[in-house]
Amino acid sequence: MKILTTVKKVVDVELTMHVEDGAILEDGLQYVINAWDENAVETSVQLKENNGAETTLVSIGGGDNTDMIRKCYAMGIENGIHIDDPALAKADPSVFAKVLQKVFEAGNYDLVITGKQAQDTDSGQTGIILAEYLGLPCVSNVIAIEVVDDQHIKVSRSGDAGTEIVELELPAVVTVDVSINEPRLPQMRGIMMAKKKAIDVMDLAALGTSPNEVGGAAPKSEIAEFMKSESRKGGQKFEGDAAEITAQVVDLLANEAKVL
Amino acid sequence: MAKVLIIADIKQGVLKGSTAELLSKAKAIGAETAVVAVGSNIESLTPDLANAGSDTQYIADDPSLELFSAGPYASCVVDAAKQFGTNMIWFGFSESGKAVAPRVAAQLDAACATEITDVELSGDQIEVIRPAITNKVMQRVKINTDKLVAVVRAGAFEATEGITGTENVVKLSIPAADLKAVIKEIVSDASGEIDLADADVVISVGRGVKDQAGVDLVKELANDLKAGFGSSRAMVDGGFMAHNKQVGQTGKIVAPSLYMAIGISGAIQHLAGMTGSKVILAVNKNTEAPIFNVADYGIVGDLFEVVPILREEIKKMKMLRVIMQHN
Repeated sequence: MKILTTVKKVVDVELTMHVEDGAILEDGLQYVINAWDENAVETSVQLKENNGAETTLVSIGGGDNTDMIRKCYAMGIENGIHIDDPALAKADPSVFAKVLQKVFEAGNYDLVITGKQAQDTDSGQTGIILAEYLGLPCVSNVIAIEVVDDQHIKVSRSGDAGTEIVELELPAVVTVDVSINEPRLPQMRGIMMAKKKAIDVMDLAALGTSPNEVGGAAPKSEIAEFMKSESRKGGQKFEGDAAEITAQVVDLLANEAKVL
Repeated sequence: MAKVLIIADIKQGVLKGSTAELLSKAKAIGAETAVVAVGSNIESLTPDLANAGSDTQYIADDPSLELFSAGPYASCVVDAAKQFGTNMIWFGFSESGKAVAPRVAAQLDAACATEITDVELSGDQIEVIRPAITNKVMQRVKINTDKLVAVVRAGAFEATEGITGTENVVKLSIPAADLKAVIKEIVSDASGEIDLADADVVISVGRGVKDQAGVDLVKELANDLKAGFGSSRAMVDGGFMAHNKQVGQTGKIVAPSLYMAIGISGAIQHLAGMTGSKVILAVNKNTEAPIFNVADYGIVGDLFEVVPILREEIKKMKMLRVIMQHN
């Protein structure tokens, strides 16, 4: 089985974001692998270990992604492709999906695993749109995966009415939730070996496509500006005798907030 | 005139409130409205769909559509969108909506925006507002096509009183099943329980409740109040709560009138799922817990002591209220 895993370099969401004049100030920001993609990497590596697979990652944009890709190598991914092109600066999910379509078609993969969303945009679209472009079956929000045979996998998806069990014919696309696994910490031996591995860096031309073909020049949507988030303020905090303060809060919920 | 197609949110044969909320917003921006309803045994909901504010109802009603499958659902929405000639397609916040919206967008060559909290229309130009980076910032997104498929964040729009619609049913043809993604079964872990998505009160447990006994203690409070019963990620990972009970960035996003966070410290991923609530009550023994930064009312104390008192006090207050009404 050949598995393609997507990884995106994103801003560390634990940091404070400062917004000025419609943009996020770069100062002090740090970039990390998207949390959901780390689960996608772990899923791929586990499938490789348990069922035998060839694992390749692809990352789009983000400038120098060497550290992130090496980390994935150290976790067990075998090959890495980095597509970087100035024409992708304003890429929206459909542009990302078009680029991934090109990567998929060049590599003859059986399974694509993406994180269910990227923590910089929280859009959750790219993997699903990719499946549509490729005409492949797709299940999103996957929390468990098992190989049935050479042509089929069975996945569990967290859905509205409970856990949906779906059998997929390969090739297929799945997008995974963080609860699917606990990503491993790279070990020293893996880290050392990762340093020697090459990363296949290409622009759109090298991928055999163009900004026009992937829609990079005219994305369907674009971020016009960033704004500060309306942050909620803490209200009244009560400390002291539990019976007394709890009674007081129930009174406030009923008569001040009127929600009981 | 803008045309907005709204996906009817139907669960267990009941039309959920989000449908009227989305229809109210569509009417408020002066749009012509239609709904598309997909499922099994749902045709009897036609009057409800019209009363929620729709002027046309596209209905795909077939036993084969009983279990959710993203492919056939998307086909129905695309079919309705083409017949209606829609500019915008809005899904309410749900896992099925998040799965179907990007498919519909790809098939219609439309733009897609998820988690939107507002939509603005000036002439033909569509813009949406949405949170990003775990709610740390908001984005204004310009839509460069004439069609938008959107998933609306829970609680973003309010239903208007006295909204009306007309019954005008269009039956959709039933799409073939997706033979490459076969839904085998749905393991329901929420049957008979209050749906988190539209509960008026949601009570969630976090690491502070420690174990099953702690979960059960808080569950009694949830039962008393007929509240949705949710969880932080820690209790799901610990195996104490079902996966679909998780409130937060990677789980359910809820916006009830009252949210009670019991023993939840308040990681940003959890906050991203509940800060749209009208009123938040937090119970935590750590006075520095970040949950207090978003809570309207905070009780600093041992939840094992506070929760039973909370139950008693609420019971007392409600009894008193009944007595007052009778006098």
